[in-house]
Amino acid sequence: MAGAETLIEADNLVRRFPRCEALGGVSFRIRRGEIAALLGPNGSGKTTTLRILATALAPTDGCARIAGYDVTFQSLAVRRRIAYLPENVPLYPEMRVEEYLAFRGRLRGLRGARLAERLRDAVERGGLGDVLRRSIGTLSRGYRQRVGLADCLLHEPDVLLLDEPLAGLDPAQVDAVRALLQGLGPDRCVLFSTHVLDEAERLCHRALILNAGRLAAADAPDRLATAGETTFAEAYRRLTTPLPLVRNPGQRRGA
Amino acid sequence: MNAFFPLWRRELAAYFRTSIGYVAGTCFLAIAGFGLWRQAAQLARSAAEGDLVQNLFGTPVYWLALLVATPLLTMRLFAEEQRAGTLETLLAAPVTETQVVLAKFAAAYATFLLLWLPTLAYAAVLRQCGANLPPLDWGPVAAAYLGTALIGAFLLALGLLCSLLTRHQAVAAMAGFATAGLALAGGRLPFYAHAAPFREFAAAVSTTRHMADFAAGIVDTRAVVWYVGGTALLLFAAIRILEARRLR
Repeated sequence: MAGAETLIEADNLVRRFPRCEALGGVSFRIRRGEIAALLGPNGSGKTTTLRILATALAPTDGCARIAGYDVTFQSLAVRRRIAYLPENVPLYPEMRVEEYLAFRGRLRGLRGARLAERLRDAVERGGLGDVLRRSIGTLSRGYRQRVGLADCLLHEPDVLLLDEPLAGLDPAQVDAVRALLQGLGPDRCVLFSTHVLDEAERLCHRALILNAGRLAAADAPDRLATAGETTFAEAYRRLTTPLPLVRNPGQRRGA
Repeated sequence: MNAFFPLWRRELAAYFRTSIGYVAGTCFLAIAGFGLWRQAAQLARSAAEGDLVQNLFGTPVYWLALLVATPLLTMRLFAEEQRAGTLETLLAAPVTETQVVLAKFAAAYATFLLLWLPTLAYAAVLRQCGANLPPLDWGPVAAAYLGTALIGAFLLALGLLCSLLTRHQAVAAMAGFATAGLALAGGRLPFYAHAAPFREFAAAVSTTRHMADFAAGIVDTRAVVWYVGGTALLLFAAIRILEARRLR
């Protein structure tokens, strides 16, 4: 992938909330064809990073670009090139699966034969053939996750941003999602967050490890272990040792 | 406006796939039906005074129907999407905030107009029941429905804005009911004001007075501009609030 086009670019991303600093200057680049995992303990800034890249949140400082477009000031161009799946997979429960996917396809400008073709492909990849006519509200967590993933594949985006795509899935479903992400090919890139280290190690080309809003490491999982460490999990534990809470400048102690 | 129609269709269908459309419809038709029953009772006693249109539009029962139906129709528009998280995925698609707000408003408005459809049959129903009504003057009828459509649009835009400001449907409904109630109660001000300039201003923006004019067949351009402008302003505010959330 060396020399491939950079699709995700984060430069010194900072995001402050009223009571804490979620990101304290995070920079990384992800190229076309790469699958990258965002790892880190709860509250380390994984979801905030994904939300900024998905244009749902603006950075307090720094900037991020998707395929060269600024996520804050060119958000519409960015949204044409991304697919974003939040952690809780928000869907409309009253809609049937096929209706929902067709609706999402139309939002992305797909129409007629092209929409039908993309729907067929997304349904097949998501393994949704059996539940197409069912209401989303009656589906299990695993199937809802698959509907969300099928939605992400509809318009063949350059960039997939997936927040905990493996959460709540049984082992067979995890295998299916892994195969699906690995089968996306060299034309796009995937950035996903997860707590499952084994899966991250198997799936990603590069692990971005966040700790207390800072990038602790970014490299291939097998290269992160230093002398004396035999597994990726050991390296992860070293890199995510709890740091003291970061306060906003000027915030009173105990406030 | 590529994304407008898919959004509008989804919103419209959601009214009839969830209970909210039926709850709003039942409440509205029960209240409007009560108004018709009262009118029929007065006609039976030969105690009805004035014109049928004026007796059905602009009465307390009419205002109650508007006050109940509009917050019920708007409460879920944004509050539910924010609670469920679907607003985040919706806005991660290539749609503009303007398309989202206008599509949601248009769906609520279409449902609101649909609720009024059965009231077109009221005169025929009364005649069928044996009421001796004079021939309908279609001018005031059209003006009264125009007034209802304008005031309804204003109240729906107010409710939509309330729904955008909270994640709870119940809070959105209460806020919509309270603000719509205040807007309508303000219409009573000209009857209590003593200072002449204040009375004139209050009369110019009085919703109850506007409706009385519409029901009498008078279409005052100032009233039309007031409601169209007010609705546009509220929708513009909703669009800007939604845009600001992305940048906050």
